[in-house]
Amino acid sequence: MHQAPRSTSPLGRPAKAVLAASVLALGLAACGGSSTSQSTSSSAASGAAGAASASTDLKATLTYGLWDQTQVPAVQKVLAGFNAKYPGVKVNVNVTPYADYWTKLQTQASSKTLPDVFWMNGPNFQLYAANKQLAPITDQVKSGAIDPTKYPKALDDLYTLDGVQYGVPKDFDTIAIWANTALFKEAGVALPTGDWTWQQFQDTAKQISDKLKSKGIYGAAAGMDGQTTYYDTIFQAGGTVVDGKKSGYDSAASQQGIQFWTDLIKSGASPSVKQLTDTTADQWFTSGKLAMYQGGSWFRSALTKGPVSSSVKVLPLPMGKQKATVIHGVANVVAASSKNKEAAQALQDYFASQEAEQTLGSAGSVIPAYTGTQSTFAASMPGADLQVFLDALAYAKPLPVSANTAAWNALETDLLPDAFSGARPVADVTKELAAKMDTALGHE
Amino acid sequence: MAFPFVWQVIMSLSTNAEVQSVTPHVWPHRLQWGNYHQVFEQLPFLHQLRTSVVITVIRTAAQLLLCTLAGYAFARMRFRGRGALLGIVLSILMVPAQVYLLSQYQIVKGLGLLDSLGGLVLPGLFSAFGTYLMRTAFLALPQELEEAARLDGANPFQIFWRVMLPLVRPTMSVLAITSVLWSWNELLWPLVVTTYSDHMPLSAGLATLISDRTINYPVVMAASLLAMAPVLVLFILLQRRVIDGLASSGLK
Amino acid sequence: MSSQVQVPGSVGIARRPRRRGDGVWPWLFIAPLLLGIGVFYLWPIAQTVYYSFTTFGVFGGSTFSGLDNYRQLVTDPSLYRSLLNTLLYTLIVLLNIPIALYLASLMNMPGLRFASVYRVIYFLPFVAMPTAVAFVWRIIYNGDFGVLNYLLGLVGINGPYWISTPGAAIVAVAVVGLWSNLGFSIIVLGAGLKTIPQELYEAAQLDGASRWRQFRSVTVPLLTPTIAFLVIITVITSLQLFDLLYAILGSTNPTLSKSMSLVYFFYRSGFVTNDKGYAAAIAVVILFIIGATTAVQFRLQRRWVHGG
Repeated sequence: MHQAPRSTSPLGRPAKAVLAASVLALGLAACGGSSTSQSTSSSAASGAAGAASASTDLKATLTYGLWDQTQVPAVQKVLAGFNAKYPGVKVNVNVTPYADYWTKLQTQASSKTLPDVFWMNGPNFQLYAANKQLAPITDQVKSGAIDPTKYPKALDDLYTLDGVQYGVPKDFDTIAIWANTALFKEAGVALPTGDWTWQQFQDTAKQISDKLKSKGIYGAAAGMDGQTTYYDTIFQAGGTVVDGKKSGYDSAASQQGIQFWTDLIKSGASPSVKQLTDTTADQWFTSGKLAMYQGGSWFRSALTKGPVSSSVKVLPLPMGKQKATVIHGVANVVAASSKNKEAAQALQDYFASQEAEQTLGSAGSVIPAYTGTQSTFAASMPGADLQVFLDALAYAKPLPVSANTAAWNALETDLLPDAFSGARPVADVTKELAAKMDTALGHE
Repeated sequence: MAFPFVWQVIMSLSTNAEVQSVTPHVWPHRLQWGNYHQVFEQLPFLHQLRTSVVITVIRTAAQLLLCTLAGYAFARMRFRGRGALLGIVLSILMVPAQVYLLSQYQIVKGLGLLDSLGGLVLPGLFSAFGTYLMRTAFLALPQELEEAARLDGANPFQIFWRVMLPLVRPTMSVLAITSVLWSWNELLWPLVVTTYSDHMPLSAGLATLISDRTINYPVVMAASLLAMAPVLVLFILLQRRVIDGLASSGLK
Repeated sequence: MSSQVQVPGSVGIARRPRRRGDGVWPWLFIAPLLLGIGVFYLWPIAQTVYYSFTTFGVFGGSTFSGLDNYRQLVTDPSLYRSLLNTLLYTLIVLLNIPIALYLASLMNMPGLRFASVYRVIYFLPFVAMPTAVAFVWRIIYNGDFGVLNYLLGLVGINGPYWISTPGAAIVAVAVVGLWSNLGFSIIVLGAGLKTIPQELYEAAQLDGASRWRQFRSVTVPLLTPTIAFLVIITVITSLQLFDLLYAILGSTNPTLSKSMSLVYFFYRSGFVTNDKGYAAAIAVVILFIIGATTAVQFRLQRRWVHGG
């Protein structure tokens, strides 16, 4: 009965009026307290909109929406720096878990109540930009408040639609191999050095799996999502995911990119698709049961403690026809409907400044996107060679997106697992996926 | 039956490695009380607890009042369109909550109540289920009581309030319990309608702790237990009343 | 639907001789509730029905498109798959009622010690926060370190990856649904058992009826109103499966598309793939399915309960 609709509540359970009465008494006290805190914040929110002239005199209360609770401490540090410059602007951070973030954002956008500034990602950007929910940064770029050339070009492009840019990234991430050197040693397998090929990767993974299988240890695995897994191999094979209004899945190169994972699983070098659903690859890695985890730079923050972190080394992704990695970064964007646009854009500007990016980088959870501020990230784990993530910029390709990315992302998640598990031939699955994806793209 | 709870307690005191070990650990090597400490670091727990309590109390009180009034009218008064209106009210039971989300949000926004206590509690003040439940209870009462009171010159409200209401107390307690549970546990609406984590109830706060990327199982377990604890304790303390009242709900 | 909705046992009271209308009083009594219900529930339903005939822009704005959404929906395999999953879930959760009946009769035996302790234990899952318990279950079900497969392994059974195998996943979720409803049913049925006069059993015993025979010809028939009540409530809530499924499987589970329920299908179309008009059509179908099922049940129940 837990699914009872909100209006109706599940079937009852009992306790007499005593319960109601005691709860009631309890609540009256609490009620008073909460309504005070309530009124302070809402009056602050409605009061004092823009209209100030000199920027530092700005008075406003802004809402800043984001989804990652673990990044809040770093964000608060940046906000402290912002408030030193703009003491009159109060920023309230609103965390919504990722699983509900876009549901909430959609509801807010449909009602013109978006947070003044909020996190945007590549897959959702075009949907919001094309539907006029975001404020362009054109004027801020003209005035010099934001300098897009200081950011990876791939990410400037990711947040540009029809020649208009709406945001710069606050951070970026690339994909590489996280290796557990202790497991390599245990298996008696040499750690690869420098660039390596798909074949070498597959062989290394298989060797480790074969040696350590009795202990439940596997050679290599990935998150089985596009960004950290198959988009990378598709690009390495020279394929595409989406090309204008067409799906790229129906090409031989893209099929090879998918086949890479099917082979890895089939050879026993990787846990099965089901195993990776129950326990994700990063969890396999942190519990010391996976020698190589193909994952994003953000995984760094999960390695602060625990037995594995002392034996971690980062390796570049293996090379197919070419070297490639997917780059993505979250951008700070301003809502077109914001009632405090001036203050919101001041906050956006500040987040894009070298100073803020430096602060963010030092906190160590993400790679700041501003050129030249990344060194703190690389230095945060001596000996682990985090520099690989930064070097990968040279051959990074932006995360594939379109106007309604979510529609075909859902198709990928539906169909591809059958290809990875070997339940259906890769060519069949990619053909079906390409056809359905073309339809979805056609609706955009 | 209680195993998942016991397991939850054990895991909340374990390390992440122990949770994920292939041979289950029956008891952690060292009790990790720090997991609970972390919950308080990551969530404004007391604020959220207070919000949960306030929402729960307001909704329960409102449902008790509105549903007994309407339930009484539907059961014991005569008026045009009674059957049709009752049918319409009950049809709401059939619609999943997700369907209402966008419209309710826009209405609450129109009322200027976003991110306020008012917005949080509003749609939940009105319960079709409660109306159904109370109507059932009132239907079962004998008619003579009303007649006697009417002869004494009482008006319909007095009859309802003084004579009939005391007789349906067991069912009111059922409604109270249902309402408490559902207000306490509700997730989607508070997540969408609140902006500040201080204004969220515990259910929503708990969800912000659970992220898809890298999960710290023990801390999530500890947070879950803390979020459930107040209601669990309340129900264990009041179990006799709870169970007696509940039992009566199926037996008109 | 409408006036056919009646509660077990209420029959016979409703149709008594009545004075003329009660004037303005009933309206005063129902006005506050009707106002709230109208604004927060009926209006949204009306909007949803309207949107189901439109192509809805992602952030508002809709153009009328007639039956397009419905035409697309009837050919969408996801509709039938989610319908089947939802029915399977509902059937499994319904099993809680016979189990509860059995346990409740055990607990109703005179001289059972700690009866109230058992009742509390069975009742706890019903009170617990779904988000919180779903997470424990996710760990219990884990194919690699979950305690369920560990225990199954001890008796030589190789358990599947419960939450990542299509078919097994919906069963796993339904078991949790059954688990959380069991306590409620036990208590409601337990109270029902108490109302059965002991003499009936004694008379049956004199006739030489076995325990099973007594159970079948005394207990069950006398409990039909209560059982009917439980069935109706369980079906209505089970057909609205969402939270539990979403929380146990996790939002990134590739099995989700094969294990989805009707309401998840709605949610996915409306909030994930951004097709609100289509989602509205799904919502209307859900409303229709639940309404029809409930109406049929009320009808059956009348015959069954009376004939019992």
